[in-house]
Amino acid sequence: MTGIRLENVTKRFKTTLAVDDVTFSIRDGEFVVILGASGSGKSTILRIIAGLEVQTSGHVYIGDMQVDDYEPRDRNIAMVFQSYALYPHLRVYDNIAFGLRVRRVPREDDPDRFRRRTRQEIDDRVRHAADLLGIGDTLRKKPSELSGGQRQRVALARAIVRDPEAFLLDEPLSNLDAKIRSSARIELKRIHEQLKQTFVFVTHDQSEAMTLADRLVIVDHGRLLQFDTPENVLRSPANQFVASFVGSPEMVFLQGALTSVGGAYAFELDPVRIPVRGASSPGPTTIGFRPWDLAVDRAVGPGALSAVVRGVERLGSSDQLFLELNRASDHGVAPPSGVSLRAMAPAYEFQIGDTVGVTIRADRALFFGADGARLDALEGGTA
Amino acid sequence: MADLRDQTLGFRLRREWPAYIYLIPTTVVLLFLNAYPVAYTVYISMTDFGTGGRGSLLHYQYIGLGNYYRAILGSGGPTTLTLLENSLFWAAGSVALFLIVGLGLATVMNQELRGRAVYRTLILLPWAMPAFITILVWSNMWQYDYGIINELLATIGVRPIDWLGHASTAWTALFVTNLWLSFPFYTVVFLATMQAIPKDLYEAASIDGAGSFSRFRRITLPYLAPTIVFVGLMGFLFTFNNFYPIYLITSGGPGISTQIFITESYNKAFGSVGATPELSTAAVYSVIDFVIIVAITVVVIWRTDLTRNWLK
Amino acid sequence: MRRRRGRKWVRLAKRIASHAVLIVAVLFALFPVYFIAITSFSKIPIASITAQVLIPKMSQLTLASYHAALYGQYPTFGMLLENSLIFAGSAAAIGMALAAFTGFALSKFNFPGRRSFVYFILIISLFPSFLLIIPYYFMFAKLGLIDSYPGLIIPYSAGAVVFSGILVKNYMDSIPDDIEEAALVDGLGRTGAFFRVLLPLCYPVLGLAAFLAFVGPYTDYALAHVFITSSGKETLALNLYSIATTDTGASNYGVVTAFAIVMSLPIVVFYIAFQRYIIGGLTLGAVRG
Repeated sequence: MTGIRLENVTKRFKTTLAVDDVTFSIRDGEFVVILGASGSGKSTILRIIAGLEVQTSGHVYIGDMQVDDYEPRDRNIAMVFQSYALYPHLRVYDNIAFGLRVRRVPREDDPDRFRRRTRQEIDDRVRHAADLLGIGDTLRKKPSELSGGQRQRVALARAIVRDPEAFLLDEPLSNLDAKIRSSARIELKRIHEQLKQTFVFVTHDQSEAMTLADRLVIVDHGRLLQFDTPENVLRSPANQFVASFVGSPEMVFLQGALTSVGGAYAFELDPVRIPVRGASSPGPTTIGFRPWDLAVDRAVGPGALSAVVRGVERLGSSDQLFLELNRASDHGVAPPSGVSLRAMAPAYEFQIGDTVGVTIRADRALFFGADGARLDALEGGTA
Repeated sequence: MADLRDQTLGFRLRREWPAYIYLIPTTVVLLFLNAYPVAYTVYISMTDFGTGGRGSLLHYQYIGLGNYYRAILGSGGPTTLTLLENSLFWAAGSVALFLIVGLGLATVMNQELRGRAVYRTLILLPWAMPAFITILVWSNMWQYDYGIINELLATIGVRPIDWLGHASTAWTALFVTNLWLSFPFYTVVFLATMQAIPKDLYEAASIDGAGSFSRFRRITLPYLAPTIVFVGLMGFLFTFNNFYPIYLITSGGPGISTQIFITESYNKAFGSVGATPELSTAAVYSVIDFVIIVAITVVVIWRTDLTRNWLK
Repeated sequence: MRRRRGRKWVRLAKRIASHAVLIVAVLFALFPVYFIAITSFSKIPIASITAQVLIPKMSQLTLASYHAALYGQYPTFGMLLENSLIFAGSAAAIGMALAAFTGFALSKFNFPGRRSFVYFILIISLFPSFLLIIPYYFMFAKLGLIDSYPGLIIPYSAGAVVFSGILVKNYMDSIPDDIEEAALVDGLGRTGAFFRVLLPLCYPVLGLAAFLAFVGPYTDYALAHVFITSSGKETLALNLYSIATTDTGASNYGVVTAFAIVMSLPIVVFYIAFQRYIIGGLTLGAVRG
């Protein structure tokens, strides 16, 4: 089984800590996306798996083998670089065939000895990979003659043709035009399904990550924050950073307080009062909700936040209102005025300048403690 | 931790050691053919080889800094000073000319002119001819009695000038010849740098109201500055020790008004036929030359931060 | 607006002035070459070389000088050419290889001591190479290598090493690291990646390095004069220098110039053929600083 496993991997560059004690396990055939902002360490993790960087401490396993001391060429992995890194002086055919020509394969008659691949073998594989990616007609051209999308596919073909144990992709779609990017995304997923190999994909684009991943690795400042399926990350983010990073439109956060009266807990943000199940220590708490978890009324009811409509976006199926919260009272934990949020509501009902009431759906709200960690013990609403 | 593979010295050695292998041939060559001869020259400069009056190649002894004392502070002082002045004047004056003419021509060529590539090829053509041949020809052209320059001047009524007979005209001849030798190189380098400047900077500037002088001063020059410093320094170092022009055209004359360190050193070593070459003196000049060059280089690089991002 | 009127005329005047300046520059640059060429084709002795240069008369043209240059030499022009090619060619090959290795090691490796090494080679290369002849003579005399092929080729090879090495380093710096990394992932070691991927990408700057490493030795007089004592190994440059300086009258100008032109032909041909690479490599290396 060719999974990839990282155990307590840390990487320090002189004074900066790029990767901080990261541990995770990828299953064979899985499509895992490492998601993070620029400089979060995601590319470093990938390069450590590849062997292009050597970790400061910790272990890397490809398959069941510990590959810490292995050079990149001996790890049997293939890599697609953000810039594609095609050999400029070789034709497309030779670019793809390069890795095949360089390595030897075990002989059929005596697996302990090795031979070079035959020209026919190489040709078959190259053409097969090229057809798979639809670049069969560019084989005689040089990289400089190709478009960005074509080059990206050549880079992919070069990786595929070697039949490695895992594919490592470093932001391979970032340099494509927006139009091509979504179709490239779908094609990549299709190839993954066809090859059934392990893919490790690095990106900073959360929508890309959510679309492609079987499971997501979320990193920030070198630390692994969450490793889970996209749905789980969306619904049960490990902390406030993760919650704010994934999902579009972004989650909105308001600072309030958790109070306890008798044995009953509630989240209070004047004039909102949401009873809360579960237990936690009272104190400053942040509530997080998504625009689709809000109800907007023409009248400001009790317990609803008051807001002014600042903008209306008519998208047809999912109209959005841009609201600005009003200061409800001068004492207590009131929301700061000026916080803008979006809400889903039929656009025809409202006009710019209207004052509306905003209600948060209690059961969909998430709560975060002062340190940002999610208080997963808490659930909104009464039993 | 059981295994800590940090970015330590040992770690870098383990990963980067092939570099040493690749550098072995070069290091051997440089040690043997550069470092050792320099050290040898320094040693010779502190002996009395050729000046000890013993008249034999094999007998010389170490005398410490006596030669230097004599050359700088003692009887050789005026000569050394003249050599120093001449060398600096030769190098600095030449480079100034190169830069001005090179920049000027590059600016002219930077416009969208027809046949620009032809001009560029043509002015570079002489560069393919061996230098000492062309210098010999120039030497011939500057001659008083049969040189073509005087003959051409005669056709427009100017009396023949004894170019090589007076210091000022001799320097003129040298500078003109040196300019001829080098201006194509500087023109091409500056032109290439100028062409790398994005055109929309100029467009934005002219919309903002800048005239051509202003655009040159605020856009072109800053872009060119590092290149100017770099080729200027290179040119200075090269000219300072450029043997052939002075040796072949003026032989340092008249007198030693155009003599520089390197030519005087050569004369002392190989000039007199039959007698023992004054190798110690030659070595002293070589060493002084070297020290000045290194000092200037270090200062320029240090002050202009030329190598800031150069080594990863 | 004051700029509107007369704009077309200003532009035209600028264009004419620019062309004029460039033509002057070209004339200045090519005049000595022209002078050499005309002299080489002229009947010697000639009454007035100036007149001939200014208005060449067909009647005064001849190939006699070329004949004398090519056939009237001792040792034969062929032998001189052969020697020059051996010395300069070997030095160019060795110099190019050294430059490639050095540039690669400095560009793509971050080994302990790299900084010091670079400072060392830069400073040591500042010593006037010309004056190294003196110690060279003693060193090589002791080794018995005076008047031998290797004896001269070795110092020649050392000439351009530092400069060419820096040129190659600058050029390689501009090759993105991930091309080398792609080769590593594809299955090569660093050596394989160097020879099969990086080096082929450096052909332009290597061409320039070879050109520089060739031209120096090919036209060298000083070192050859000291090192070569037997006429069998005499080079073109040596021979040219001696015939140019033995007789300063006007009588052998034709031969001298004809000789010079023929001697320069290989370089000029080389230069024109590889012009693009030479200028490209030059500007890339120089512009990078």
